[in-house]
Amino acid sequence: MISSRVLRATSVIGSLLIALLIAPVAQAVPSFARQTGMACEACHTVFPELTHFGRMFKANAYTIDNLKPVRGITATKEEMLALSGLPPISLMVQVSETNLSKPIPDGIVNGNVSQSDTAAFPQQVSLFYAGKIAPQLGAFIQLTYGNDSGTIGIDNTDIRYASSQLLPGDRSLIWGITANNNPTVQDLWNSTPAFGYPYAASKAVVSPLAGTQIDGALAQDVAGVSVYAMWNESLYGELGTYRSAKQGAANAVTGAAGPLDGTTSNIITGGAPYYRLAYEQQWGRNSLSVGVYGATFKLLPGGTPGSLSGPANEFRDTAEDFQYQMIGEKHLVSVAGTHIREKMTLNASFNPAGGGAAENLSDDLTTTRLTGSYFYKRKYGATLMLFSTTGSHDAGLYSLDNGLDPTIYAPGVITSANGLPDTKGWVAEVNYMPWLNTRLTLQATQYSKFNGGDSNYDGFGRNASDNNSLYLLAWFNY
Amino acid sequence: MKTTTVIIGAALLVLGAQRSPADEISPEAQSAAQHVAVTTCAICHGPQGRSIAPKFPMLAGQHRPYLVAQLKAFKGQTRGDPDALGYMWGMAAPLDDEMIEALATYYSVQKPGPGRAVDAAEIARGADIYAKGVAEEGIPPCIACHGPGAAGTDDFPRLAGQHAQYLLKQLRSFQSNLRNVAVMHGVAKELQGKEMSAVAAYLESLGGA
Repeated sequence: MISSRVLRATSVIGSLLIALLIAPVAQAVPSFARQTGMACEACHTVFPELTHFGRMFKANAYTIDNLKPVRGITATKEEMLALSGLPPISLMVQVSETNLSKPIPDGIVNGNVSQSDTAAFPQQVSLFYAGKIAPQLGAFIQLTYGNDSGTIGIDNTDIRYASSQLLPGDRSLIWGITANNNPTVQDLWNSTPAFGYPYAASKAVVSPLAGTQIDGALAQDVAGVSVYAMWNESLYGELGTYRSAKQGAANAVTGAAGPLDGTTSNIITGGAPYYRLAYEQQWGRNSLSVGVYGATFKLLPGGTPGSLSGPANEFRDTAEDFQYQMIGEKHLVSVAGTHIREKMTLNASFNPAGGGAAENLSDDLTTTRLTGSYFYKRKYGATLMLFSTTGSHDAGLYSLDNGLDPTIYAPGVITSANGLPDTKGWVAEVNYMPWLNTRLTLQATQYSKFNGGDSNYDGFGRNASDNNSLYLLAWFNY
Repeated sequence: MKTTTVIIGAALLVLGAQRSPADEISPEAQSAAQHVAVTTCAICHGPQGRSIAPKFPMLAGQHRPYLVAQLKAFKGQTRGDPDALGYMWGMAAPLDDEMIEALATYYSVQKPGPGRAVDAAEIARGADIYAKGVAEEGIPPCIACHGPGAAGTDDFPRLAGQHAQYLLKQLRSFQSNLRNVAVMHGVAKELQGKEMSAVAAYLESLGGA
């Protein structure tokens, strides 16, 4: 019997878990190369990390096009159609092998354990429409099959319009509108969550319990519109708002795709404001960007037996980021970091009388990531990332067992025994790229702390290091 | 003898290139070219053709006939050095003749940036090679075609203030014939790496008109 308290708490942190269980996805898209006639290196240091040109290509709505279009113009030379001669379609395939340091308890038979290794063939296959739609309109649309879900679903999507103006002194101003389904997927730098490192990760590992909302928790679960402007290829500002846009959720009464009702969980009330400000400076082979971004999400827990009425949990995320790149003919260096702070006011989940899904009205959560990467001739590379998530103690949010009978189902593993969300460790990988669109990766992930502890973090004898993993990946884009 | 052959060959090559006078370009075309230059070309070639990253050549103050010939070579895919393939074949593909002329005009009238001097000794060696060539290796003086101060002429590109990294890559591409220009292959084929570096450092140090 699963208690309602468990369900409510699960709905509070559910989106955190969901996002973390969906491994980071990142893309590089050969259809852009086909469209522009330019090699991958114009837009990418090594895919999917963008160069300055790649950032400007994105800001210009993916519309720089050097193919002969199918055109339609009016008598006044207004361009009504500029359709690519070739559809900008790309495919991406990832196959992988993952070794988990220690098997996890068997999900059905108490005392048994899982296998240690997971073969993923494929881990992921994605189909992209990535390129120009109309003269100033372009899209990056990704459909993904994942071996974890076993289904095909919508993945990162960014449809945008852009226009550019000449300013005095031959400076440029680009402005545009983006509609997208993942906060920061529209961002131009690889220091923000959606396109940040790790660019690929195993889907066959134990993921930490806690993460901030802007850090992927709402990916592909929202629809956002924002306006942006970039001055002189250096100063970037963006303002937008997000609403819930659930996939696969049905209205309980009609069975239709909406309107959303209390049977769905973590629904944004009204609009969630999103902002971004960044400045990039270039000198010689180097570029440095610094910026801030953030959003405030007011989420109704929902979920049976929740409802859409009543108070909402507020998640106020503020973040800083930076990215440094040195792009030489042989040597390429990138350093990126972000620091995200989340202030939670859990009006819906906290009950002053006790028994609420959260122990505290106010909690905080902080995530920091620092990544350094080196590539030689875009062929051989290595990357190291240090990561840390820390936050306030909340036995309600983090100490729950998973609500399932431990004599039948796997106890612990994804929970915290001490009520802390703290997770720390590093990811290191080496890469060999025989061709610019093919990446072979060996990646190691090590935890010094996991869900609040280093040893017996879940109260069932599992240590943080038991979740260490080795991951071998072959990644193809064509 | 060798030097004379190279110079005559270069002159014939350039004189054979097509040229159109700037006054044939309509104001609308010139305005459209300015928009393309500022919003697209500038991403790599910098504001008003003064590029920041040394991978991408400075275009400010470059001579119009040279720019026209290069853009046509990119479009026709006859210039084959690595970055020509990787970047410019695509970028030049949709340009028509009028846009090519107008873009070349735009960059030819921009003010070149200042020179950047790094190693005085290397610059001095480079200046010597530029002015006198390397007689024992049969390498002609660069000044014979590219002129005093490396300002170039209508027929030969301006090299003053150009990024050393770009110049080096071009010299190597001439040497290997990836960039297939017989005259420059003749000059570069015997150049040693250190000589290339010195000349490139000297040229990068030159600024002004």
